[in-house]
Amino acid sequence: MLYCRLPMRIPAARRVCFPVSVRVGVMATAALSLFGALQFYNSETAAERQSQNRDPYMIGPQYERFSGLRQTVPENAILGYLTDAEPGSVLATTIFDAAQYALAPRLLQAGTTGEWVLGNFTKPLDFEGLGAKYGLHLERYFGSGVVLYRKQGR
Amino acid sequence: MLELLCILSATAIGAMLAYRFAGLRGFAPRWASALLIFGTGTAIGIGIASIIFFVCRILAPGFSVLPILVEIALAWWLGLEIYRTRDRAQVAAQTRTFAWSGALALALVLVLGIGTLGMSSFWEANPQGNWDAWAIWNLRARFLASGGNLASRAWSPVLTGTHPEYPLLVSGFIARCWSYSGSMSALAPMATSYAFFLALVAMGTGGLAALEGGSLGLLFGLAVGSCPVVLYEVPTQYSDIPLACYFAGALILMLLERPIAAGLLASLAAWTKDEGQLFVAAFLVLMAITRRRQFPRALAGMIPVGILLLVFKLFVARSNSSLLAQSTMGAGLWPRLTDLSRYLTVVRIATRQLWDMRSGWYHPILPPLILAFALKFKTNWRRDVLPAGTLTVVMLAGYFWVYIITPNNLYWQVQGSIARLTAQLWPLGLIAIFAGLRAPEQTGQEVVIEVPQTKAGRSGKRNQPGGKAASQPRGRK
Repeated sequence: MLYCRLPMRIPAARRVCFPVSVRVGVMATAALSLFGALQFYNSETAAERQSQNRDPYMIGPQYERFSGLRQTVPENAILGYLTDAEPGSVLATTIFDAAQYALAPRLLQAGTTGEWVLGNFTKPLDFEGLGAKYGLHLERYFGSGVVLYRKQGR
Repeated sequence: MLELLCILSATAIGAMLAYRFAGLRGFAPRWASALLIFGTGTAIGIGIASIIFFVCRILAPGFSVLPILVEIALAWWLGLEIYRTRDRAQVAAQTRTFAWSGALALALVLVLGIGTLGMSSFWEANPQGNWDAWAIWNLRARFLASGGNLASRAWSPVLTGTHPEYPLLVSGFIARCWSYSGSMSALAPMATSYAFFLALVAMGTGGLAALEGGSLGLLFGLAVGSCPVVLYEVPTQYSDIPLACYFAGALILMLLERPIAAGLLASLAAWTKDEGQLFVAAFLVLMAITRRRQFPRALAGMIPVGILLLVFKLFVARSNSSLLAQSTMGAGLWPRLTDLSRYLTVVRIATRQLWDMRSGWYHPILPPLILAFALKFKTNWRRDVLPAGTLTVVMLAGYFWVYIITPNNLYWQVQGSIARLTAQLWPLGLIAIFAGLRAPEQTGQEVVIEVPQTKAGRSGKRNQPGGKAASQPRGRK
């Protein structure tokens, strides 16, 4: 079965006719694609997804959180790193990578061997006493668990 | 908004390169040529601008305007070249059009518009992108954009866990936009990812339109532009959509017999992500077997970026071993290879991923399936389907073996990456299928209609059915 495209203004003409199966297939593909795009739109704008998916790692607030440290420490610094998060946990990895992103081009190096050490804590603690255990002197506290330590005796 | 201008300038340089040297003019329909030049130009332009920025950062770290000067000189030279060789390209004769091509084009614009609206919702919620975006790609862009000797921190071995060995195309380009605009806003990585998506759709649509027929190209655009797994990856700001763009572009240009440009795109895939190096190897072997006469030109297209990649891997970032190197070294390789449960785990998760690609009851396999039944495969389908299908299968097999030998936790590795790998390879698979189909134009049959002069066009009577369907591909000039 053919479908013909009619050139109305021409009295005698060659017409191109397309099989019904082709027309149906093309129409179905176009309709399905539109539906697929709408499904994507609906899933992205769904309230549930919006609430679950909104900056799950809190990367946006890290700029504000580390802004004081960024102003204090020069860009070419390499900082040691001290945290209260359990080593190897998802939380520890997340806050380390997030701090690295917010502080780049300063480089973070796990461990407390460097002269300057970043303290990145998840809850209020005795930051001074904790640093002293590692031979670190609390140089400055920036709030929100962000501490700058310096190796004692330097 | 300055970041957008930076992206547009790279796209313009790429489009001029593609227009002048890639041999993409003259395909029918004309819009197929325009889309091919836009898509190829965007992919090449972003790649070349990224490389210029990276090389200048390495060679002259204190001279921050050098990459801008090089780009201006390149644009100037290309403008002169285009003016000097200006001519009207011969457009291949278009034998027949499909009645609904206009409606398909409108549907494609709608699909892209709706998809973009969905992405904007994600962008608004997560301007920094997903984990890998800020932990790997944009982090390294921050180092590269910092200037001086700090750029070398982008591949510092201290960055454990964030793949300092990865190639730098995406990071380098975002760093370029940040450096030129003087602002490290989230707009640059968002727009870069979106530009690659548009380039992917444009190259696929224009390429298949030039190869087989305009409406088949538009149908491909609809299929890839509505694929949920592809759409989800665009706003994440990962390197998988850029990689998918380079894979698809290289394949399309190979089918269109533009080996130099195809080789260049393949090499840019290798400079985007380590998976691109597997693609280059598979692409070269395929060219050597199926298109022997074009092989030297494809290789020539790969050489400049290939040299850069080798220098980066062997000298610049030599202290960082890749996942493949970590997987093949050490004593654990043999036990991993002989552990049957690993194979079952990969197959099980991959099968579930195939099912999870759907969004609601829409599954992206439906459009190609429906079209395969409706349009049927052309008689000489092997010529294009075999190389395209082989490339897709080889890539799938390569990813499968990387999963089997990975030293990381297998479940975590497969679960965390399989959707992204699907986004990389789905457009390749679609091209493999679409390249074998008859275009709707080719299914049409001509009939002569006689219409009485007095009532023109109102009472036509079909009196001579038949006429052979035009089945000549129009892509190759």
